Amino acid sequence: MRAIANRSKILYALTGVFLLGLIILGYRFYSNAQNWSGQRYNRHLYESGTLVSGGKILDREGVPLAQNEDGARRFNDDRTIRMATLHTIGDLEGYISTGVHTQFKSELTGYSFVDGLYNTVADGSGNDITLTINADLCATAYNALNGRKGTVGVYNYKTGEVLCATSSPSFDTRNRPSAKEVEESERYEGVYIDRFVSGEYTPGSIFKIVTAASAIENIPDIYSQTFTCEGEYNIGEGKVICNGVHGKISFEEALSHSCNSAFAQIAEQLGNEKLQQTAVELGFNDSSAAGGNYLNFASSKINLTDAKKLDLGWAGIGQHTTRVNPCRFMTLVGAIANGGASPKPYVVSKISTASGRSVYKAKTKLMDGYMSPETASKLKKMLRFDVEDVYGEWRFPNLEMCGKTGTAEVGGDKEPHAWFVGFSMREDLPLAVVVIIENGGAGSSNAIPVANTVLQEALKLYGE
Amino acid sequence: MKKNRYFFLMVLVTLFQTICLFEIVIKLEATDLKYPAIAFGGYILLEWIYFIIHRGIMKSQSFEVELIGFFLSGIGLAITVSVYPEKSITQLAAILIGFAGYLVLLWILKDVDRCMKLRYVAAVGSVGLLALTLMLAKFTNGAKNWLYIGGMSIQPSELVKVAFVFVGAATLEKLQSTRSLTRYIIFAVACIGCLFLMYDFGTALIFFFTFIVISFLRSGDIRTIIFICVIALLGAVLILMFKPYVASRFSSYMHIWEDVEGGGFQQTRTLTYAVSGGLFGLGLGNGELRNVFAATEDLVFGVVSEELGLIIAFSIMLTYAGLLVYTVKNSKSVHSTFYSILSVSAAALLLFQAAVNVFGVSDLIPFTGVTLPFISRGGSSVMGCWMLLSFIKAVSFREKEAAK
Repeated sequence: MRAIANRSKILYALTGVFLLGLIILGYRFYSNAQNWSGQRYNRHLYESGTLVSGGKILDREGVPLAQNEDGARRFNDDRTIRMATLHTIGDLEGYISTGVHTQFKSELTGYSFVDGLYNTVADGSGNDITLTINADLCATAYNALNGRKGTVGVYNYKTGEVLCATSSPSFDTRNRPSAKEVEESERYEGVYIDRFVSGEYTPGSIFKIVTAASAIENIPDIYSQTFTCEGEYNIGEGKVICNGVHGKISFEEALSHSCNSAFAQIAEQLGNEKLQQTAVELGFNDSSAAGGNYLNFASSKINLTDAKKLDLGWAGIGQHTTRVNPCRFMTLVGAIANGGASPKPYVVSKISTASGRSVYKAKTKLMDGYMSPETASKLKKMLRFDVEDVYGEWRFPNLEMCGKTGTAEVGGDKEPHAWFVGFSMREDLPLAVVVIIENGGAGSSNAIPVANTVLQEALKLYGE
Repeated sequence: MKKNRYFFLMVLVTLFQTICLFEIVIKLEATDLKYPAIAFGGYILLEWIYFIIHRGIMKSQSFEVELIGFFLSGIGLAITVSVYPEKSITQLAAILIGFAGYLVLLWILKDVDRCMKLRYVAAVGSVGLLALTLMLAKFTNGAKNWLYIGGMSIQPSELVKVAFVFVGAATLEKLQSTRSLTRYIIFAVACIGCLFLMYDFGTALIFFFTFIVISFLRSGDIRTIIFICVIALLGAVLILMFKPYVASRFSSYMHIWEDVEGGGFQQTRTLTYAVSGGLFGLGLGNGELRNVFAATEDLVFGVVSEELGLIIAFSIMLTYAGLLVYTVKNSKSVHSTFYSILSVSAAALLLFQAAVNVFGVSDLIPFTGVTLPFISRGGSSVMGCWMLLSFIKAVSFREKEAAK
């Protein structure tokens, strides 16, 4: 009997294996719950593959952008708004993976590991999500792009709320293009990519902001230097071509005139290491993004480790291999406007159950510091000088605008990308903007009008 | 103090069952309320009559085993009544018959000599019943394990399971000779062979596991056990090689998410709806998994999770583990090796079967479709479980001895 009792102790080991299995099972349940519950065959949420229990998606003014009606998911009734906000909201099929429909799927269906779908089943609907974007502002931006590929983004550099985000090309969810069209037609190139959040572009002259920041921090006498521009600058085994012949100019003038010769010289003075270091401090090569419920924008990339002298010269004016993400660069100018640090940009401001109970409310959170307040203040003056000295105040009426244009050469016989980044200094309009038009030509003549149109609309809506 | 504790636990169990009935009644909205009320009323009555006789009149000390049986069986009843209100009475009848079987077996077990005599009857009856099933049954859902007798359907393997443990423990009690071991091996091979021919692999696995546990408890010979396992493994490999149909039944294992409309259908539905219930469940009657084939049988873990919540579902699993630990812990003071082998192997069988069911349906191991003890709907299964519970109860027979 004792022998049997002793032998039966081996069954404790068996029980141990069983408990281990339960722990693994519990862990699998916990870590896969959102994915498992969101399956299209889940009849709590879907009817014949259509999400029927998803809550509403509203813009900041409460305009419904997507909601359930009679067992089907309906997008906004205005075609332009549908197309302008498509990438931020995301499609129902999940091709636009960065959209709210995919990123906030379990929030939209009201799923949580603790409560399961209890509230969804009880209320007959998941959570409502209110966004920070203004649908009309997005539509204005989309119209301003006028069919050209690219993106426009506007955010509040004090709070992080994204007021406008639009990406082109887009499509109408009521008349979606076939897979064949998307694959073959040039018109739909990259249509599933939200260019604001995921795009990566050659920066061109907007990168001069980074080079200038590095110069301010690393070259003590930069403000007393003068640079000579003869339309090109010989460096290393070649030369950097300028957009004009600027003669003798100061550091500030070099930026406002976007003088390539001067900035190639500044890059040469800085050297690979220091320019790279400043860029990294300003958020380049950081793949961590904002994370969580904030925008998960792509990273900007720079690599000057093996750059030769000539490469360094080109890198100083934003050509070379450097790539930037529009949203991330927007936060960089936002940081300049906000005294050196930018809030994390976000599009979801609040989530509440169908019965109105608040589940989530976004809070302003600062990103890791970009630059010192002194550097920010100096850069701000220079960006203000750009508008006053070169672009012209008349191009941004009433906006007290600061900014920088970019005309990024993309090789071949293609037109360059047109860039504008900047911000308004008005107390009642703390907005930063980024515009890129793919193969849109010169930044000043093409991107500035788009930025101004959108900000004038914002001024009308929210200015005092 | 101890008496009060059991009373308190009984009140809790009854309260839980009353809440379940309440949820079911609300959901049914005044149609067919009669059957659920009778089923639960009858069941709660049974629990309290037994409790009063057992504790009040017979002054018995232990009540753990029955309490666990009542708790688990109550959840099984709640699921069945909620999904099939019209089958409420049938399920209650099955529990009552099972409980009667429990009492009868307890009486039989008291006399070890009587058990020794009965073991031949049980052995011959078991093999005969399985052979009969093999001959008469038709394939239903890929396995031949149902017998239809006069409008009633029974699953003989669920009852043979009881006999299998009994014969094993009884055969090895008296004769410690090679002959008794050889006889038991022949008996085991006959049973497991029949199950294989019925394509009821899940049950075959449970029988094999029980055989290993009993053999080890008896002999303590780990080398022989390993030898048997290796032979069995080789046999399984041979079967998989020569019967591709068998292998194809397990082809979706670890690939269920790639085939959600085919081989992974039941498992993916179970997992999706299990997490849909959250920790506290959607409430009885609010689930969707119940509409999937075999929801109240093979997939019942998912139904419990979805409607009663993950906390209760995982608590049920811990209950099986607790039952085995309790049995092993108490087996050293039992007054006969027969009782100790009988109780420990029955508890091990229940835990193993629960593991095969739950880990199978959640894709941790291949899905074989066995029932979850006490919880899955089905008369044969519930009866079998209650009879196995009487074996586990035998672990407390020492206290009787001490009282004398």
